[in-house]
Amino acid sequence: MDNIRNFCIIAHIDHGKSTLADRLLEQTGTVTGKDMSAQILDSMDLERERGITIKIHPIRMDWRAPDGRDWILNLIDTPGHVDFHYEVSRSLAACEGAILVVDAVQGVQAQTINNLYLAVEHDLTIIPVINKVDLPAARPDHVTEQFVDLLGCDPAEVLRVSAKTGEGVPELLQAILARVPPPRGDLAAPLQALIFDSVFDAYVGVVAYVRLFHGSVRKGQRIGLWRGGGDYEAQELGWFRLQRLPQGGLTAGEVGYIATGAKDVREVRVGDTVTLAEPRCDAPLPGYREAKPMVFSGFYPTATDGYNDLKEALQRLQLNDAALTFEPESSAALGFGFRCGFLGLLHMEIVQARLEREYDLSLIATLPNVEYEVRLKDGQSRLVENPALLPPPHELTEIREPIVRASVITPKEFIGNVLQISLERRAVQRKLEYLDTERVSIEFDIPLAELVVDYYDKLKSVSRGYASLDYEYKGHEPGDLVRLDILINGEPLDALACVVHRDEAYQWGVNLCRKLKELIPRQMFEVAIQAAIGSRVVARTTVKAFRKNVTSKCYGGDITRKRKLLEKQKEGKRRMKQVGAVEIPQEAFLAVLKVER
Amino acid sequence: MSARVPPAATAVALRRGGGLYLHLPFCRSVCPYCHFTRTAAHDAGLRGRVAAAMAGEFALRAARCALLREGRVQLRTLYVGGGTPSVLEPRLLGTLLAATAGRLPAAADLEATAEANPESFTAAVADAWRAQGLNRVSLGLQSLDDAVLRRLGRAGNAADNRRALALAARRFPRVAADWIVGPGVRPRSLVAELREAVAAGVGHVSLYILEVHAGTPLAADVAARRARPPGGRALEACYLEAVAALEALGLKQYEVANFARPGQESRHNRAYWRGVPWLGLGPGAHGFWGRRRYANHADLLAYCGAVEEGRLPEDAVDPLAPAQRRLERAVLALRTAAGLPLSLVPAGALPLARGEADGLWRLEDGALRLTPRGFLRLDGLESLLARALR
Repeated sequence: MDNIRNFCIIAHIDHGKSTLADRLLEQTGTVTGKDMSAQILDSMDLERERGITIKIHPIRMDWRAPDGRDWILNLIDTPGHVDFHYEVSRSLAACEGAILVVDAVQGVQAQTINNLYLAVEHDLTIIPVINKVDLPAARPDHVTEQFVDLLGCDPAEVLRVSAKTGEGVPELLQAILARVPPPRGDLAAPLQALIFDSVFDAYVGVVAYVRLFHGSVRKGQRIGLWRGGGDYEAQELGWFRLQRLPQGGLTAGEVGYIATGAKDVREVRVGDTVTLAEPRCDAPLPGYREAKPMVFSGFYPTATDGYNDLKEALQRLQLNDAALTFEPESSAALGFGFRCGFLGLLHMEIVQARLEREYDLSLIATLPNVEYEVRLKDGQSRLVENPALLPPPHELTEIREPIVRASVITPKEFIGNVLQISLERRAVQRKLEYLDTERVSIEFDIPLAELVVDYYDKLKSVSRGYASLDYEYKGHEPGDLVRLDILINGEPLDALACVVHRDEAYQWGVNLCRKLKELIPRQMFEVAIQAAIGSRVVARTTVKAFRKNVTSKCYGGDITRKRKLLEKQKEGKRRMKQVGAVEIPQEAFLAVLKVER
Repeated sequence: MSARVPPAATAVALRRGGGLYLHLPFCRSVCPYCHFTRTAAHDAGLRGRVAAAMAGEFALRAARCALLREGRVQLRTLYVGGGTPSVLEPRLLGTLLAATAGRLPAAADLEATAEANPESFTAAVADAWRAQGLNRVSLGLQSLDDAVLRRLGRAGNAADNRRALALAARRFPRVAADWIVGPGVRPRSLVAELREAVAAGVGHVSLYILEVHAGTPLAADVAARRARPPGGRALEACYLEAVAALEALGLKQYEVANFARPGQESRHNRAYWRGVPWLGLGPGAHGFWGRRRYANHADLLAYCGAVEEGRLPEDAVDPLAPAQRRLERAVLALRTAAGLPLSLVPAGALPLARGEADGLWRLEDGALRLTPRGFLRLDGLESLLARALR
C-alpha cells in the first residue's frame, strides 16, 4: 500500500486541469504518442467542446520513478462545475491528496475555494500548483501570495507548472510521491469500498467505480450495497487505463471498478458503500447523500409524434445519470412531454444538448424553475415542480422556495456591480471579506429561482468575466410569491407560467409581453398577449395582423422564386408550435430566460 | 420571306396547346427597380446575335420534343416580353417570330401580345407589329404623373405615355397598360389616371405594387434610405381605391394585380396560374415544358454561346415533385378571382369562418376567394398555406 498515491485535481473551469492530466499520463508513460489526443480524459464530445469536465474519468498510472521505485498513481478527475458539488465531494473522499490548480493569470476563483474547503474537510493533503506560467500575463508571485493567504502554506511549497509545455510537471510528480500520504487500511477486514461514480455498460450492466478502504474483493464474489441493498456478483473487476483493464481482485487502498450486472444505475448510487455479501463490514462510509434535482424544466418534442422517442432517449440517458429525473406531464400548449429534474442549469443544458445531438431530437424546453413547497388552507403541504400546477392563491397559506448560500469571488472593482445584481434578485448579504488586496469574497443567501434564470450570465457580464460563483442548498423558506400567467388571445399558455416575487411581477409581466411580441410573428389576425396574476391582468401587448404585403407580379420565373421562398418558410415551420390559432416560435418558450429586469 | 404568324384557320384540331414566351432583354435605359434580365448596353450586332440564338434555341428544343418538331402543339398564346421589345428592330422581330411561333399551328383565337415602352413605341413599330400578326399590346406606362415617373426612374414622361396610349388604341384591338404603385402615388390621382386610360381605350390594367428586389439600384437606395417603398395605409388606400375605380369602369379584377373588361383578360398570363405549359425562349427566360420548369442563362454571352455550340442554354432545371406541384397550384389559385378550391385547403390551415366574417375572403362555389382586402395580405396567407401543405 505504501507505493500507492490516490489524488485528484481541483481546478476552476479553464484553469487547465484536463491538459495537466494529459501531461501526467504522458510523463508516466501511461499513454504513448499514438494514443494521445488532447484532453484525453474528457470522454464526451460535449466535454471536449465546452472545455468542461462533466463526468469523472479515473486513471491508474503505473510508474517507475527516476529513483527506480515502482509507484501506483490513481488520478481521479473531478467535475469542475457548481452543479456537481456532491460528485466532487465523493471523488475527494476517495483520495488522500489534491492538486489545487490555479491559473497564473486569473488567480483563485470561487469554485476553487469551495472545492478546496471541501478537500480540507476531507483531510486531504493539498499541493498548490500555479498553471500556465508560460503565458505573458502570468502573475505567479501574486497567485503564490493568494495560496499563502488561503492555505497558510510556505511560498516554497507552491509549484509552478505549464501543462501546455510540460514545464514543472516532473517536479509535480515528485511532490505527489513525497507529500501525498499513502492510503491506510486493514487488508484483513471485510470489504469496505466507496462508490465515487457509476456508469451503465450495455454488456456488463452497471459498473461501479470504487475506492477500497478496507479488505479486498475477488472476481466472482457476491457483493452488496449498504444503502441500495441487493445481491450482486462481481462479474468483472479491475483497474482504469484508457479502457478498463480486468484483474483477478482489488485490495484496500486501490482504485478500480466492479461490474455488478445491475440493470439500473440508480441501484448503484454514488456515495454508497460496497461490501461483501458475507462477511459484511460494520458500517457504511460517511457522506452519502442522494443526488437531488434542484432545477426543473418541461421537455417537449416539437413534433407531435416525438413523445416515444423522447421517452426512450431519457431512459437511456438516465442509465448513466442517476441525478436525472423525469415524469410524464402534459401541457395544453405543448402536448405530451416530461418534467425533468436536474442538479442545476449546466446539467440541464448538457442533457438537452445530448438529447438533441446524440438522439437527434428536436425539443422545446420550458423556463427552468425550482421546486416549491406549498402549504394549503386545509393544512396539507405539497411539492410543486411545475409553475402551471401551483394552486390558485385562495387555496394557499404559504409558498416556500429553495434558498441557497451563494459565494461570489470577484476583483474588488466589481463589488458594486455584483451586489447590485444580487440584491435585485432578492439576495441577503451574509459576509464580505477581502481575500487579498485585490479580491473579495461575498457570501449571501438567495432564492435558487433567482439564480437559475440568468444570474450566472449577468454575473459574468458585470464583472467582465472575472467573478466566479458557487452555491449550496440551504433550505426552503417562505416567500411572497405569485404565479404569473401568460395569456395568448385570452388562453393561458401553461408552458410560460412562472412563479415570481410579488414586487417583481408587474415589471416581469411587462418585459415578458414585450419580448414575446418581438418573437411571435405576425399572423392572420391580431394576437393579444397578456400577463396576469390570477384574474388581474398586469401587462398587455398586441402583435398586429400580417403586414399588408403583396408580391403582385407572378409570371414565368416568379413562380419558381415564390415557391422556393415558401418552401424555405416551410422549413422554419418545424421550429414553430401551433397554440390554438397562433403559431409561436420555439424561442418564445425560452424568451423568459432573456427577459431584462 | 414573310414574317407573319400563320393564320389561325387550321383544320387540324390539336389536343394539346400551349404558350410561347420570347424574352427580348434590350432597353434604352435601365429602370432602377427592375430585376429582369435586361441591358441598356447593346448594338445592332448584339441584338441580331441574340435574336438568332433565340431562333436557334427553338430549333434545339424542337429537336428534343416531337410535339414541337412535328407541329403538334397548338399555339394558343404568344407573349413577347422583356426588356423592351419595342427597342428591337421590327425586322429582326419578324424573322424571330417566323422561326419560332411561325413553326407552330396557331389557334383561331391566338392571343399575340408584345410589350412596349412608350418612348420607343412609334407608329412604325406599331404598324410592323400588326403586320406580323400581333393583336395585343401591353404598354409599360407605370403612371401618368411626371413626378411619379421621375421618382420611379423611368425614361419617358407623361406626355410620351399619353401619345403611346393614343397610338396603341388606334392600331390594336386590345390594349393593356401597367401601373406601379410606388413612392409618391396618391390614391386620388391614381384613380384619375386609370379613368383617363380606360377612356382612351385601355381594356386591361395591371396594377403592381413596387417591389424591392435584391441587387437592384432601388434596393441600394432603400438600404441607404434614399427611397422608401410604399407601405401601410397609403398603399392600402391606393390599392383599394384603384380596385373599386376599375370595377366601376367595368374592368373586373381577375387576379391580385390584374383587371380587364370581360373577355380581355390576358390568356397568356392566366395560363401561368393554371399550370398550362409554355415554352420560354431567350436569355433569362423561364419555361414550363415537359412537366419541368427551366430557367435560361441570364448572361447574354453565356446564353448565345450555349446555343451557338448546340447546347440548351439552361441554367437551372426544376423537375417538379408532386408536393411542389401541389404547393404551386394552391398559391397560384389563391391569387386569382376564381380562388382556391376548398378541397386544396388543408384542414386547419386557414381560419375559414373568421376570415370570411372579417371580410378577407368569401367562400362560394366550393372555393376561397380573396376580397381586395384579403389580397393585401396575400404574402402572409401564402406562407400560412404553404406551411400547412404537406
